Amino acid sequence: MTPAPDSDQSPVNRARFDQQSADQQQNSDSGPFRKSIFHDSGFRWWHEVAVFVLLVLVLMVAQELVPGFLNPRSQLLLSRHVWEMALISLGMMLIIITAGIDLSVGSTMGLCAVAFGVSFEMTSSILLSCLFCVLTGFGCGALNGALISRWRLHPLIVTLATYAAYRGIAEGWSQGHSWSGFGASFSQLSRGRLLGIPYPGLTFFALTVIAAIVLWKTPAGKHLSAMGYNEKAARFSGIRVDLNRFLLFCISGTLSGLAAVFYVARFDTAKADAGEGFELDAITAVVAGGTSIFGGRGNVIGTILGLLLIHETRQFVGRYWGIEELKSIFVGGLLISFVLIYQFLRPSGQRV
Amino acid sequence: MSQLPLRGWSRLLARRDIGILLLIAVTTAVVGFMDSRFISLDVWLGIFIRSAPTMIVACGVMAVILTGEIDISAGSLMALLAAVMGLLISQSKAALSLWIGIPAVLALGTAIGTGTGLLVSYGRVPSLVATLGLMTALRGLTTIVMGGKNIDGLPPALQDAAKRGWFGVPVSVWVASLVVLMTSLLFYRMPLGRRIYAAGSSPASARAAGLHIQRIQVFTFAWAGFLTAVATLVDVPRLPWIESGIGSDLELLVITCVVVGGVSISGGRGDLSSVLAAVVLMTMIRPVLTFLDVGEMGEKWTRAIQGVFILLAVIADQISIRFLWRKSAKVRR
Repeated sequence: MTPAPDSDQSPVNRARFDQQSADQQQNSDSGPFRKSIFHDSGFRWWHEVAVFVLLVLVLMVAQELVPGFLNPRSQLLLSRHVWEMALISLGMMLIIITAGIDLSVGSTMGLCAVAFGVSFEMTSSILLSCLFCVLTGFGCGALNGALISRWRLHPLIVTLATYAAYRGIAEGWSQGHSWSGFGASFSQLSRGRLLGIPYPGLTFFALTVIAAIVLWKTPAGKHLSAMGYNEKAARFSGIRVDLNRFLLFCISGTLSGLAAVFYVARFDTAKADAGEGFELDAITAVVAGGTSIFGGRGNVIGTILGLLLIHETRQFVGRYWGIEELKSIFVGGLLISFVLIYQFLRPSGQRV
Repeated sequence: MSQLPLRGWSRLLARRDIGILLLIAVTTAVVGFMDSRFISLDVWLGIFIRSAPTMIVACGVMAVILTGEIDISAGSLMALLAAVMGLLISQSKAALSLWIGIPAVLALGTAIGTGTGLLVSYGRVPSLVATLGLMTALRGLTTIVMGGKNIDGLPPALQDAAKRGWFGVPVSVWVASLVVLMTSLLFYRMPLGRRIYAAGSSPASARAAGLHIQRIQVFTFAWAGFLTAVATLVDVPRLPWIESGIGSDLELLVITCVVVGGVSISGGRGDLSSVLAAVVLMTMIRPVLTFLDVGEMGEKWTRAIQGVFILLAVIADQISIRFLWRKSAKVRR
């Protein structure tokens, strides 16, 4: 057994050490001493720096090829497309830090949108509909969380099931019907601005600040990454793993509900196909932002950079070539290449 | 589960395939009682024709899941392969001979599968992420390859085989039986099959026993890609034309079948017969809904029913594992 590289004896580092040494035993072909050069220098922000450089490159190329791409007004206009995905990515980041995954977020949005439409038809009150929409999201998330933490089921399989189930319920409930005509004051929710920033953006930034404080400044944040590094070790050190996991999925569901409200407000239409494909975009943004898909590592700054990178790339590709499908090729390619890059930059042995 | 020391009835309980077959029998009896037309050769041939491509793909994806990985790119891969097949052999396009077109499609499917396998095993990209990325990328690529238009005019020989086939049974059912036979030989009679199980049930001990887990993974992904190509060749010519939406949600259906069939998502556990029974069960949902005469409204619930089935299957797994462990503990004493 090789000595631990970290002399720090905090539970988190000890958990990481357990996993590393276990892995080094397994990876006999890569040798126990193979270390990443980036890890040795002690600088932990390589991934964020890499994403930032890439983002600047994309923006420079875009400005060169599409004149006026960078001017603030067009950027603000384009930003309408990003806020719902951003809200969802925030919940997704927290879940992926704990080595989980939530594939059902897009379908939850669809179900929430239908819930919004149905309750608007019944009560014709915007406020009640919004409340019902967010509550539906919370319920969807709570069901995911309960199944995963109470029954100890695999998050991947549970959320894959609810990915089908929520979308299916949305389709069956709405029967292809769509609701619209919610009034001008409601669409102000997505268009209106305060200090030049649209309301969905403000919501996102407020929640981001809260997430950052929780992750960096509270014990709960440390608990989350401990869960991601080594769940068993986290359980033994007294962290309430099941409760935390349940709450995380509730948060993710609620954020999807909130995103659905903004989505409905933006298109002025509530339909079962709301948020289709959002799960992929959110996962891509989070992973591109340096959150390890194996759990443990991840932060808010990286996620924002990842979001920006995905968003700007999509907008640039869409505007320059004008082919919708190219966007999905770029997003899929980015996702795979980022995980590949991460695997080369990572400290050795940090695997599932 | 089947390795647990059990006696009598609890041994039957541990078998997933018997449970699913019972469920199929009960459903058939109930629906047949309400509408006697349901118990006829035509309806069941229809169910088997519809389940054939799912069965073929499930044989591949099951191998991937047995090693503890996952492949959710099957549907998009099928769309791309269908588009390529159309471009190569359709009379309105390149109009190549079938002897070139069919091997080319098989080779492309295997190549993409191998590429995914290399990414997952040697590139260490988690399979969920790799195939999620591939799923969108391939779907986009398909639309671009097809240029936004549907492709028609497949050679009549291929369409005939897919629609009428031999002895009134379409070729897809014959091929599906062949694939099932080959897969069961692979899983239960060949060393490679046992290695697939070993790699999934405990990677560390498999490695210690000298197995090349990475090579096994590459093989399973290549196998899945190859079988997807087979399914494309036998099933797509049934359709009047090739469109870019082919195979949407196929990956979900296949994974549903594999999970309902009792294959553990963390690898190493599950048998082929249960998966095949699960494919028939999941394919039955739509005809049953039709026969219950719930109309257009009911059809829209198909996806919801699928999702609920996955959840029920995994919960049933958990309950039966706990129950059977207690039983087997008694036997051991």
